Amino acid sequence: MLRLIRVELRRLLHRRAVLVLLAAAVLLPLAIAVGVGVDTRPPGDDEVAVATEQLERDLDSKQTQRQLRRCIEHPQEWGIAVNLGDAELREECEATALPQLDWYLWFQPLDLAEQRDEGSGILVALVVAMLLMVAGTTFAGHDWSSGSVANQVLFEPRRGRLWAAKAVALLVTSFVAAAVVHTGYWLGLNALADHRDQPHGGALLADCLQFGLRAAAVAAAAAILGFALTMLFRSTVATLGIVFGVALAGGMVLAVVGVSDLWNPAFNLWAVIANGATYAVEVSCPPPSASGELCYEDRVLSLTRGATYVGSVIVVAALGSVLSFRRRDIG
Amino acid sequence: MSDLVIETAGLRKEFHGRKGGLRVAVQNLDLAVPAGGVHGFLGPNGSGKTTTIRMLLGLARPTAGTMALFGRSVPDHLPEVIGRVGAVVESPKFSPNFSGRLNLELLAGAIGAPRGAVDAAVEMVNLTGRDGDRYKSYSLGMKQRLAIAATLLKQPDLLILDEPTNGLDPAGIREIRETIRSLGESGVTVLLSSHILAEVQQVCTSATIIGNGRLLASGTVDDLLGTSSLHRVVTPDPERAAAVLGAAGLSVTPSDGVLRVEADDAGAITRALGEADIWLTELTPLRPDLETFFLQLTDADKLGA
Repeated sequence: MLRLIRVELRRLLHRRAVLVLLAAAVLLPLAIAVGVGVDTRPPGDDEVAVATEQLERDLDSKQTQRQLRRCIEHPQEWGIAVNLGDAELREECEATALPQLDWYLWFQPLDLAEQRDEGSGILVALVVAMLLMVAGTTFAGHDWSSGSVANQVLFEPRRGRLWAAKAVALLVTSFVAAAVVHTGYWLGLNALADHRDQPHGGALLADCLQFGLRAAAVAAAAAILGFALTMLFRSTVATLGIVFGVALAGGMVLAVVGVSDLWNPAFNLWAVIANGATYAVEVSCPPPSASGELCYEDRVLSLTRGATYVGSVIVVAALGSVLSFRRRDIG
Repeated sequence: MSDLVIETAGLRKEFHGRKGGLRVAVQNLDLAVPAGGVHGFLGPNGSGKTTTIRMLLGLARPTAGTMALFGRSVPDHLPEVIGRVGAVVESPKFSPNFSGRLNLELLAGAIGAPRGAVDAAVEMVNLTGRDGDRYKSYSLGMKQRLAIAATLLKQPDLLILDEPTNGLDPAGIREIRETIRSLGESGVTVLLSSHILAEVQQVCTSATIIGNGRLLASGTVDDLLGTSSLHRVVTPDPERAAAVLGAAGLSVTPSDGVLRVEADDAGAITRALGEADIWLTELTPLRPDLETFFLQLTDADKLGA
């Protein structure tokens, strides 16, 4: 079996399409990291100089001076106490009514927790998972389109073993690739945060790395799903159509039908990556609310529940794929 | 099971069409291929040759019947015997973007072929120097040769070749034919599926003919064609020769200066003519060829079907 896995690993890593997809799985997160770095970059000296000039112009403007006078005359309108002395009142009004340098230099500092929970972490996880799923699909699809799978079966007629060897090679490659990409991504952002004196390292970094490993596991699962479905349908196009159709329309259809988020594939995937996710359910409002009125209640979809859901989908697809591959004729 | 290399009994394969139609590709086929030599597997297009081969190799499941390779029933015991079987089924199928060598190395890796097996196979089919090129850049002949090289990775006892000379130029056909002949002589059993009857007649020692998925005839080529006592005789004086041969008790039919003479022993013809001082310019045994025999069988099968 090990020999067969080595052969399939070699076959996988010689596929140009797979190599291109793996390269994209490295380069796109790198581009996203660069984008995050640029977006969260503190203002430079040039920007401070420009902002200072602008501030001085605005401070000199008649409108600003009018605002300052109005604040001093009617401090209560600005939420300032009326019993302050003149100097103190002016100081308060200058702080409240006059533009400040920070207003011209606003930027979102690099926040690893925010990137992980609401920012680029989701995007990177999604991009890597999608690319690896396509890699898994094209790995199997190429064998079918070239007909070389028939040749492979002539050398290893135990089709179940052949399927498993391909799956293991793909699983290992995709998990390692995704883990390297995600780990690199978070270590890179952590180094940047360190450089900018933002919160970094320690438990925060550990959480981000765990997030990355869970995202890598999801990416590997996506690769296996793509592979299993392509071995089942024997067509890259059919598999991609179904997977992207489900990904795009599945959640909407479930929502229209009225099925809870609990069964939404994307939500379950997110629960795995984010170590649990919160969703709202409609419940009857407690008294004294009017009868029939609906209230919402937050519930948590746990990592275990999400992993069970995702795992079940993969297992069902894999079983169907193996059984089909073992039984159906090869043209 | 006997010492037959390939044996099928009551083999049947049905295909269900998308519109619910049923097509029987192979029906009640009893095939027996003895060890050694080259065995032809003949039949018109769509007669079930490739389907039979695919079933033997585990690429398709039979609807009914039993099959055995080297006395082991397949597909159940196929993994035990597949290492002794090399096969090219229909057109060669390899990864187009891989080099010929990489394609072979992957297959060799799957069976743990010894180091050097790929080099030896490449050399045997004369692909040395081109083995590093992408498969998709190969001509059809080179693709066929690579497919044969793949079968040789196993050092097989049984070689199943399905139309191996398709697309080859005359030199390529001759080369493959020689390879097949030498493999057959070296003890490898070759099952050669072909519709080129001259090729089969030149190379094969035995043959099976099928039509509409059914067995039509099977046996050694000589047995299939039968022995003929008819000879074509050409002499400078056909009229006198006819009289001499007739006097010797042989049946003679003259036709346009050529005599068709029935004689169990050709020596009787030469002896009779020699004693009458008539010298032969041509004496040819008139043997029915496989093509005629094949067409007779398949035409009869069409009429019967």
